Parts: sequence; structure tokens; C-alpha cells
Amino acid sequence: MPFQMLSPRRSRIFPAQAARIAALAAFALAGPARAQETALRVGVLAYGGIERALRDFEPTRRHLEAALARPVRLAAYDLDGLRRAVAARETDFAVTNPGDYVGLEARYGLTRVATLESRIGATTTDAIGSLVIARKGAAARRLADLAGLRLAAVSRGAFGGFEVIWREMDDLGLSPERLAGVVETGFPMQRVAAAVREGRADAGVLRACLLEEMIAAGEAAADEFAIVGERPTPGFPCKTSSRLYPDWPFARLADTPRDLAKAVAAALLAMPQTEGRSWTAPLDYSSVHALYRQLRIGPYEDRAAPGLAQLARRHRGWLIAAALAALWWIVHVARVEMLVRRRTAELTREIAEREKAEHDARLHREQRDQFSRLGILGEMASNIAHELNQPLAAIGNYAAGLSRMLASGHADPALLAEGTRAIAEQAQRAGGIIQRIRAFVRRREARRERLDANEIVRETVGLFEGLAGRRGVRLHVHLADGLPAVLADRVEIEQVLLNLLQNAVDAMVEAGETDSGVTLRSSRDGAGVRIAVRDHGPGLTGEAQARLFETFFTTKPQGLGLGLPICRSIVESHGGRLWAANNEDGGLTMRFTLPPADAPKGDAA
Amino acid sequence: MSADAGRESLMEPLILIVDDDEALRRSTQFLLASVGLEARSFASAAAFLDAFPDGDPGRPGCLLLDVRMPGMSGLELQRVLVERGFAPPIIVVTGHGDVPMAVAALKAGAHDFVEKPFKEQHLLDTIEAAIRLSRERMTQGAARRGVRERLDRLAKREREVLDRVLAGKANKVIAYELDLSIKTIEVYRASLMAKMAAGSVAELAQMVALLGRDKGKP
Repeated sequence: MPFQMLSPRRSRIFPAQAARIAALAAFALAGPARAQETALRVGVLAYGGIERALRDFEPTRRHLEAALARPVRLAAYDLDGLRRAVAARETDFAVTNPGDYVGLEARYGLTRVATLESRIGATTTDAIGSLVIARKGAAARRLADLAGLRLAAVSRGAFGGFEVIWREMDDLGLSPERLAGVVETGFPMQRVAAAVREGRADAGVLRACLLEEMIAAGEAAADEFAIVGERPTPGFPCKTSSRLYPDWPFARLADTPRDLAKAVAAALLAMPQTEGRSWTAPLDYSSVHALYRQLRIGPYEDRAAPGLAQLARRHRGWLIAAALAALWWIVHVARVEMLVRRRTAELTREIAEREKAEHDARLHREQRDQFSRLGILGEMASNIAHELNQPLAAIGNYAAGLSRMLASGHADPALLAEGTRAIAEQAQRAGGIIQRIRAFVRRREARRERLDANEIVRETVGLFEGLAGRRGVRLHVHLADGLPAVLADRVEIEQVLLNLLQNAVDAMVEAGETDSGVTLRSSRDGAGVRIAVRDHGPGLTGEAQARLFETFFTTKPQGLGLGLPICRSIVESHGGRLWAANNEDGGLTMRFTLPPADAPKGDAA
Repeated sequence: MSADAGRESLMEPLILIVDDDEALRRSTQFLLASVGLEARSFASAAAFLDAFPDGDPGRPGCLLLDVRMPGMSGLELQRVLVERGFAPPIIVVTGHGDVPMAVAALKAGAHDFVEKPFKEQHLLDTIEAAIRLSRERMTQGAARRGVRERLDRLAKREREVLDRVLAGKANKVIAYELDLSIKTIEVYRASLMAKMAAGSVAELAQMVALLGRDKGKP
């Protein structure tokens, strides 16, 4: 059975398991009598399973045991297990593939004492190479033609199954990335031939001599496959697409005694060919080193710092991909940034437009409110004139009185003082009235503050009482105690109240029904406050009630029809309601509500 | 009593002010005081009626009445006072340019009106005129009361003779009508002239005419 080279990276054998099996094997094969002597430990790379490794090297073990007259134990490991065993000195010798050997040699100072010699068919060889096959009639003739094709191999990590050909491709500037793909078939290697046969791959990598063996065994027709990149190798019995490398070495560890190593080497060289295997003088493995150096894998993976150009060449595919990715990223980022900027501009514009609309609406509302207040003022003009006339008349009287006293020549100083003081008082009173009117009419921004609704009512009554009285209407005010504070604009609510009072007084005067007066009442409304203005006028007809809050609807000859619609919008902007209802015993009651300044804590109370 | 009446009319005048505005009341009082006029002021019609239930302050003077007041208005108070035979002339105070109100007040028997704010000279002149009228009315009233009292003291025959004398009839005609002697008529005539304190028939006629005018008035 020929020796198959493969990377142990593919083998998945746990060291513990391997050690146990190895121990069992050693026990069974060496016999209990010798098990107690100091056994020679040989670690073997299990490339195709532990049993197979142990079986393949059993003749060698037996030969050594006999030649050295001491027990020899074989232990099969996967790559990592063998490496650990070497590192821990759990073995005296190691048998492994050329690729792994150069790694261990570089790292742990292993030294070969013999090289495997295999018998292939009728020929004995101490070298391994790789062969690339393709279906008969395929276009690929040279290794360079493999670019863009699918290449079958047992594994990317296989030495003879891939890495050897990789080096040949690398010589041609063909990196594995330029292949359409590597089809990994796994063992046995005949599967590679099957993959090519079945068209799952365009070409396949075989170890040299396998094809000849398959033809001999009838597993392949003699002319079934074409050889890709065949190169002449004088003295080598098989066709190959690669240069040749030395076969598996038998190596001693750095601290294995030289005498023992020498004895083992002599024994190995003396071993006759058994089951197609024998051992020959150790070969030069520098060609394997060269392969790893060139491909920068194995022991040379991190060693040589490759030049920038080399790096670029080696990773061209990745670089291009990275450059494309970076380019895509830059474009993406730029695009996103542009979109963000555009959207931001749109948003800014939208916000500006909305703000302008809101500003316009506010301006319009303020103007309308001012208009409405001017309207109220117009309706109250004669009353206001009277209100102002009072202090002016008083001032006139005092002034006239004073000048007469002075002219008479016997002025009483106390009287003079009283007169002048009274003049100042009345001037102040007149100024106050004007200021109140100005404050009421002036266009202003709505301002919300915590207010006592009763206080607003009292102030409004103070403003209006005199005017109502002069028209013969008394105001009756009933204010509830303990009302919650409301969040309101003082002037706006005063405006609403003045409107309602004016309407109430107008209605009563018009009906000639001034005796009962107007009643103002504040009370609780849920969590908020309700204010009612009740008159004893004629009340409202159905139509008037339906159209009460329509803009420009009015029943007064001089009315603008703006008062109540604006009152309602003011009250609603405060979160309250304004409504009208005829009283059962005649007249009309206007009511409005104001929500509390503080959100109610609960429904209780 | 006629002496009392005469004295009353000579008393210091008293100006009455009814206005709901305190500043105006006080300032008007101040102005009147500066020309030596005494004034009393009231904040409402009701307060005034409380002070003068019979509507007679018993002194010459006038009432300065604001027409626009809460409660009973000036015009209403004026109506009530006129019904009760309130003697002092009423001057209504109206707002500037409130002509309809002034007209209504005058029709209802107001003596005069002034606009607020006052032109002080005009106000004082108006008040002075009203006081003069008040005094005259008091004097006339006293005279009327005297004539009425004297008339009431006449005997039935004397009254019959007086009526006929005033009708311009001669004693002879009266004697014939009353079926009395001329001598008797002459005695009655002398007696009633003495009782009426009339020096002549013309004077007597004047006295009775005063009563008649009085009766003619509402």
C-alpha cells in the first residue's frame, strides 16, 4: 500500500484518544513482559486514521524492536498532537510528512535519520510529486491554463495533494485566488479523479504515480485523462506536473541520545522492504523549505517580511476587493452625506415655513383680537367718555374753586391744600383709566400665568361696574371659595368677560328690564373653574342661538359680530368651553370653563 | 306765619348735590365753597329721599342732579320730587353733548341743565339764577299763604261781598243782589278790606289773582 501524503490539519483526532489507542496498541503488540522496560517511543502522523497509521508502520516497529532488543511503541497523532508530543518530549522519534517535518525541524530542532522509500508498482522511489489531470480533450494544457477553472484536490492543506502544485502555479504567477475555485474532495484521492470525471471540477491534483496505479487497478482508462503541465523527470517512474520532493523522514528529537539515534538509523537502513516500505539514507529537505518559503506558509508563514510589492502581488485579489469596498464605502458615505445635507436643508426650509405660518397665524390672531378689543371699546365708548369725564370734571371744579379762593384774597391755606391734593388725585385717576384702556387695546402676545379666576372676575367687574350702573344695571357677583388656580391670559379672559357683560347689559337695556341686574357666578367645574354671566333680557331665539358663535352674525345695530366668535376661540385656546343657554325664568346665561393650572392628581375630591 | 315765610326766603341758600361720583360731589362742594355757597351732597337718589322725605329743605337753594346714576336715575328722582311738590329748582347735570337727556329733563320740569365737565362760571350763574328763583318762589309762597289765611278768616257775607267787589260791581248793585241795605254793604266792605289788609280794590284784586295763579298751576 503506497504511502499517502496529506496534511494532518485535516485529521481530527483528539490527543487523549490517540494516546489511549496508542497505549492499547503498544500493550497488545509489545506484550506484557516487555511493557515494563524502557520503551522506545515513536510518534507517527496519522494521515488516514490511527489504525491505518499504526498498520502502515507496524513492520518498521517490529523490525526496530527486534534490531534494538528493546520495546518500541508506536503512537499515532494528528498534526497538533504530534507537535505537542514533540514539544513535551513524549516521544523519542517522529515520523511525519515532509511539510510537517520542516516545520518541526525549524521549531523544535528535529533531525531526520532516514527517509522513507516506497515501492510503487515495480519501481522503488524516495520522492513525491504531483500530477494535474483534466478530462481528455479539455482546453487546459499547461498549468497557466488553470486560471479561471475549478481545480479538485483532496484538501487545500495537503502537501502532495495541493501545496506542491501551488508552488508550480506560483512560479507561473498564478495564485489560487485566480482559480474559479478549489473543489475539496477529501480522501481517498480517487475522489479527485471522480470529480474531474463527473465534471464537478475542470482539473484535479493527484499525487504522482496514483494515476498509474489506478490504470493498473482498472480504476481508470489509460486514455481517460489528459495531463496538465507535464514535466519530464528523469529517473522518476511516473508522470508528474511538478518537481520532486523527498519522501517522509524518520526524525529524532533534539535531545534523543545520539547513540540511540545512530542505532535506530542503522536499524532502519538495514530493514528490508516490507509491505512496500523501506528506509534509505536521509535526503535533503531544503526543497521543501524552499516551497514553504516561496508560498510563505508553514514555518515561513510569519518569518520573511515580504516587500510591499510582493504583498500587493500576493494579495492582489484582496487588495482589489478592499479597494472596491473602500471605493464603494466612500461613494456610499458621500451619497449618504449628500442625502443628509439635502434632507436637512429640506427640513430647515419646512421648519422655517411652518414657523412663518405659525407666526403669521399668531399675528393674525393678535390683530383679530385687537380688532375685537377695539370693537368692544367702540361699543363702550360713551361709557368710557363718561368714566374719563368724572375726574376731568372734578379737576375742573377744584381748579376753578382754587382760583376763586385766591382771587378773593382771603384763601384758607387748609382749603388750598385740599384742593391741590384732590387735583393730583383726580389726574392720577384719569391716567389710570387711560392706561387700563391702552393695556386692553394694545396688541400683545398671549401670556399664560397661574391666576385666581375670582380675581379676574373682580377686576373685570371693577372695570365694568360703573359703566353698567350708569345704564341702570346692577352687577351681582357670587364667587365660590377654594377654586383651583387656572392657567390663563389675564387680559384675554377679561376681554371675554367684558364681552359677555356688555352683551348682558345691552340685552337688558334693550328689553327695558334693568331691575334684576346681571349675575356673575364662579364655581367649580370638575377639576377646573366655571364662570357664568346671567342676564334677565329677552334670551335668544332659536336662530340666534344656533348662529351665536358665527363670525359677523349680530343682532345689534352697531355690532360687529366678532365678539362671541373671538370669545369662544379665546376660551378654547385656554382648553375650556363657552356655551349659551336660555334660562327657564327668562334671560340668557353664558358660561365658560377654564381648566386647572395643575393637572388633577386623581379623580378623588 | 307770613313773617316766618319772609324770613325763610332771606336765609342763606343751601345747594343740594346728588351724584354717584364722590370726587365730583366733593369737588363741586369745594367750588361752591370758594364762592361762599353752602352745599350738601348725596351719593344716590335713595340717600337724598331719606334725608328729605317731604322733599322740602326749608331753605332757598337748588338741586344739582346727575342724570346718569346707578339705581334710581336722576330723571326718576326728579319725577318723584316734582310729584311731591319739591320747591327748589332742579338743575340736571348731563354728560357733554347729551342733548336728548337734557331735553327730557326740561320737559319733566327741570329748571335748567349744565354739561359736565362744567364751565364753572356757567354753573355758578345757573345756580345763582336758581337761588333767586327759589327765593321768589318762597316769597310768593309766603304771600299766597297769607292771602289764603286772610281769606279763610272772612265771614260768609264778607266773602260774598268780596267776590262781587272783585267782579267790579257797585255797592248799590251788591246791596240789591244780596237784599241788604247799601249801608250794610259798606260796613262789610270796610271790614273785609281791613281783614285782607288791602288798601284798595286794585290791591285786593292782586292778592286774589296770586291765589288764582297758584291754583292755575299744577
